[in-house]
Amino acid sequence: VIVRYEPWGAWVKLESEAAIAALDRDGVRALGLDGGVAWTGDAPPGAPLEVHMAVTSRCGAGCKGCYLDARPDGEEPPREALIAALDALRDVGVFTVAFGGGEPTTRDDLDALAEAARQRGITPVLTTSGLGLSDARVERLRAFAQVNVSYDGSAETYARVRGFDGAAAAERAIERLVLAGVRVGVNVVLTRDSFPRLAATLARARALGACEAQLLRYKPAGRAASLDYLARRLTLDQARSFGATLRELARERGSPEAAHTLRPGGFHLRIDCALVPFLSADDELGRDPDRLARFGVFGCEAGGALAAFTAGGFVAPCSFAPATNLPATDLRAHATDPVLGRWRDYAAKPPEPCASCALRRVCRGGCKVVAAFLRGEHGPDPECPRVAAWEQQRGAPARQDAAQEQGAG
Amino acid sequence: MSDQASRRAREGALDAASIRAVRTGHGANCSSIGSVIDTLFATAAVGTAVFAAVVAALQREDVKVAGGGDSPPPPLAPARAPSPAEPPASEGA
Repeated sequence: VIVRYEPWGAWVKLESEAAIAALDRDGVRALGLDGGVAWTGDAPPGAPLEVHMAVTSRCGAGCKGCYLDARPDGEEPPREALIAALDALRDVGVFTVAFGGGEPTTRDDLDALAEAARQRGITPVLTTSGLGLSDARVERLRAFAQVNVSYDGSAETYARVRGFDGAAAAERAIERLVLAGVRVGVNVVLTRDSFPRLAATLARARALGACEAQLLRYKPAGRAASLDYLARRLTLDQARSFGATLRELARERGSPEAAHTLRPGGFHLRIDCALVPFLSADDELGRDPDRLARFGVFGCEAGGALAAFTAGGFVAPCSFAPATNLPATDLRAHATDPVLGRWRDYAAKPPEPCASCALRRVCRGGCKVVAAFLRGEHGPDPECPRVAAWEQQRGAPARQDAAQEQGAG
Repeated sequence: MSDQASRRAREGALDAASIRAVRTGHGANCSSIGSVIDTLFATAAVGTAVFAAVVAALQREDVKVAGGGDSPPPPLAPARAPSPAEPPASEGA
């Protein structure tokens, strides 16, 4: 177990199981440890638990909603720069590094980077489109704890999300990785087109051998930061039904007890930080923040438990947010960087209607990237069903999803 | 303290009530932080089993302290009495 002291106790990463846990001080003491200076005085905010590292901004796929606006002639930082960044992660006790891009498998040194992360006690994981993933490239991915392949659905659904049909290539990649013994998950971007087909998409991914699906809210960053975003985002009705949809998906999968233990097996479902505000509309989950907190559900952790490194070598609050001026190699200054501090401060004390929301402690004010795109500033997430209802009660016009949906269809 | 002695000292001392939160799985998304939600819809017994599995792993594994750069991890400190200034259970998790 790897222990990282926090003012309230410690985060611990298990090495025999795929899990991290938050232990209070008594729990840490029961391990025979003492937090020392971390438990005295005004300790600074904890460092990120997870860092998303863009190891390239090159990609030839041309997905129309790419949050990075990755292109074939993008930047590829030298390995030495990425090793120095991994040193910075080790020095502050980051648990997980997620390599992404651009298309990370365009690099020929991914195996060396993954090994370098492991040597530093950091769990390496990776996201890929799966396009052009040859057997030789699959070999370079064996050192990763998990590889997620972008897979939004079968041919037509995939094409609606990304602008081209890459479903067959993604499916081949999943199968190749599974055959090679690599633990594989899928990333599913939820748009108003992919959402109704979610159950079929997950069933197909599971049949191909994937062990997990990560559901991602579509976000207005990079090439997706355009008016087209308004016609592609989830409708308000879809956002309202999100909790019920998750419940139904869990029921469809049969919820075998084995799937909920820490042991490998089963097919797991994840939601990303930006989807947490949608749970505010769920009668059951929206009123039980303790349950969400107990099972480690994270809302917006940008600038907190999450950080991103750009291909240019700077720290960003998350992969969708603009970079700060803080070099990745100076991650120790994460706690004092004013821009990152502003993101943390907002999440800690958001205004109404978030301030009175039962989910606030977990949700942390919703997605700031969406709020900034729609409103031009940090503010309540306008796509959160609770925020939308609150604003409508105060005279704001209702969203016109129905008309947009027809137009998008 | 040897690893074996450390493990023996931990056995039985760690209470599942000291675990504020458990995040399962590795996740592998490179753009936004993800959380497993299966357990939200599982029975209470399953939730208890997950926390018990974490306790067992914590008692079984050797302990290393993160964030020390190139320096070796500090030695294990002896347990001491709980601090009166314990933060509320809702913080940080």
